[in-house]
Formats: sequence, C-alpha cells, structure tokens
Amino acid sequence: MKYNSQQLLDNVASDTRAILLQVEKLKSKSETELRIKAAPDTWSAAQVLQHLNFYCTHYLNEIEKAINGNQKPSVEEFKAGWLGNYFTNLMKLKPDGVVKKKMKSPKNAMPSEIIDVNSEMNNFISHQHHFLNLLEICRSVNLNSVLIPTSLYSFIQLKLGDTLMFFNEHQKRHMKQINRVLEIKQY
Amino acid sequence: MQSDLESLRKFIAGIHPLNDAEWTAFTEHWQPHIAKRKTILTAAGETERYVYFVLEGVQRAFYLGENEREATIVFTYPPSFSGVPDSLLTGLSSTFYFETLTASRFIRLHSDHLFRLMEQHENIRVFITKALAHTLHGVLKRQAEIQVFSSEEKFKALLKRSPHLLNLVPHKYIASYLGIDATNFSKLLANTSI
Repeated sequence: MKYNSQQLLDNVASDTRAILLQVEKLKSKSETELRIKAAPDTWSAAQVLQHLNFYCTHYLNEIEKAINGNQKPSVEEFKAGWLGNYFTNLMKLKPDGVVKKKMKSPKNAMPSEIIDVNSEMNNFISHQHHFLNLLEICRSVNLNSVLIPTSLYSFIQLKLGDTLMFFNEHQKRHMKQINRVLEIKQY
Repeated sequence: MQSDLESLRKFIAGIHPLNDAEWTAFTEHWQPHIAKRKTILTAAGETERYVYFVLEGVQRAFYLGENEREATIVFTYPPSFSGVPDSLLTGLSSTFYFETLTASRFIRLHSDHLFRLMEQHENIRVFITKALAHTLHGVLKRQAEIQVFSSEEKFKALLKRSPHLLNLVPHKYIASYLGIDATNFSKLLANTSI
C-alpha cells in the first residue's frame, strides 16, 4: 500500500484534532460518568484514557528519539511495510465505525481499577498536542527509513509511517469505545 | 496552481497591489491543500502555522465552552484568507478550532515564510497591515451587532451580507454564529421565506 507522505501526515493530524475535540468535550462529564463501566469486565472511559496514555508514553517518546537523530530528508511516497500494514488494518474500524475484530490488550497495557480521572484526561490532552507537534516535524522526515520499536517487543520495529497510522487507528478505535460506554450508561 | 495564484493576486490587488518582484517572492512558498468536509485544520491549544487562501468550500472557526457549548466565531469562503489569524501572528495557542464544513480547497503559506516575507518586503508588510485593518473593522462591527442588535436584526444583517451561507451551511452553525437559539433561528427563517 502506497501513500503520499504529506497527505498521510495531514490525515493523521486531522484525526488527532478530532480526538482532541472529543476529549475536550469529555471535560463536561462528571467523574462518576467517566468511571462507569457498561459491564464489570469492561473498561470505563477513564480506563480507556489510561490505556491510551500507556501507548502515548511509549510511542511519542520513541518517535521523538528517532526523528531527532534523523538526517534523511522526506520523500514523497510512503510504502507501508507488511507488518505495519497488518497492524494498521487490525486496528481499523469498519466504515460504519464498528470494530472489525475484538482484541485483548497486552497485560502491561491493562488499566488499573484506581484512576485519577483528571490527571489521565490532562495527560492524554498534552500527549495529543505533543503528537501534533511531532507530526509537524515528521513533514521533513523520511517515513520509510526511520524505524520505531513497538511496545510489544523492542526488537520488532515498524516504519515511522506505519507507526503513525497504527497509533492513530488504535486511538480512534478506543475513542469509539469511549463513545459507546458513555452512550450505554444513559439508559 | 497557477490559476489559484491568479485568484490570490486578484484578491490581494483589491487590498494593496504588489509589484512583480514582490509578487514573485510572495508566491514562492504557497502549497495546495485539500480537506474533506468536517476536517479540523487547527485545534484549540495548537498554534496556527498557516495562513490559508480559500479557493473552494466553507469553513468555520468555533469556540468550545463549558458543557460542550459551541460558538461559531467566523465563516470563511472563497475568495478570502482563512485560519486562526490571531494565533498565527502572536504565536499564542489558538482559542478556536478551525474546521471545514464542506469539502475545501486552499493554497496555504507557512508562518515561517510569511514572517520572512514581512521582514524582507515593506510592501508586503503594508499589505498585511491593510488586510488586518479590514479584518479588525469587520470584527469590531460584528461585536457591536452581537451586543446591540435584536435576533431579527442580526438575522437580517446576515442575509444582507452573506445570503448564500443559508444554502451552504447547516443552520445550527449560522444560529450559533448569530448567537440565536436554533429554534428562534428556524422561526426567523420561516417568516422571511413567506
């Protein structure tokens, strides 16, 4: 799968801004609402944010490190790697916004039961702004040649372009989950 | 791109014409940019990085207040500059979200290039100052209208200034722009149609 590098960055940036808008709107919800679960074995909105913060901390840190040391200029076309493409598609929602395949999160990314809701929300918002700044820097970076270690195993690396798309789809997937949790609790 | 730049030149000429050398320098770094409908181009909290020139589509800047209350601050449509100008020029975080309401086509210039051009060319500085003066004139006039006009007067003023918006933009955004309740807006619209 081939992408125009600048368009890829534009798309990820606009999705990130939509996520920011959604989270800013969550600020008007009460702590109780954000702690409610649809069922005992599911996550509350606050837990989803904590889960996303886990990935933000890993990937934003790794992306920042990698692009700081990067000397290769940007190229017009990004070609997705097979593993990156697989991960991105795994995360992607169907066009109607429904999750294609339910997945279990790795143990280290499981949220805890005790959560400081405001701190998770504020951390998540600053992560998104950090990500937007990194995306801007990525405009002058080669998305094919810069490699980012995955959170699963550091020896498995994805191309920067794949990491951006995978990370973005993962966030979108969980923002949908937050919507679902908050909808359910109204009834 | 060439015809897009021509539209820009025509628009600029109406504010403050640039000579050929200034124009060549001015147009060197503009880039085409397209966005689907409901694409957020700048989020509140970000610093605006671009000045946009609108070629197609309608956009709005809006403020998100407590309890998800939104206020539409401005609509933009061709031919005009767009984006979040106060954030662009001050370098401060944007107070507003800037989004497309319909599929949009722009050319845009990065703030780094804009500032360099303003440093190097006095006439470009004059042009920017004049453009901002017109914008400020519009903003202050609207401020007065918001505070003094009745809902009906606000509605009529909009009809006079930008009647085409009614066909292009969902009415809830126009109601929000005028600071009128959506139900009242529908009533005003119904009375006007008759």
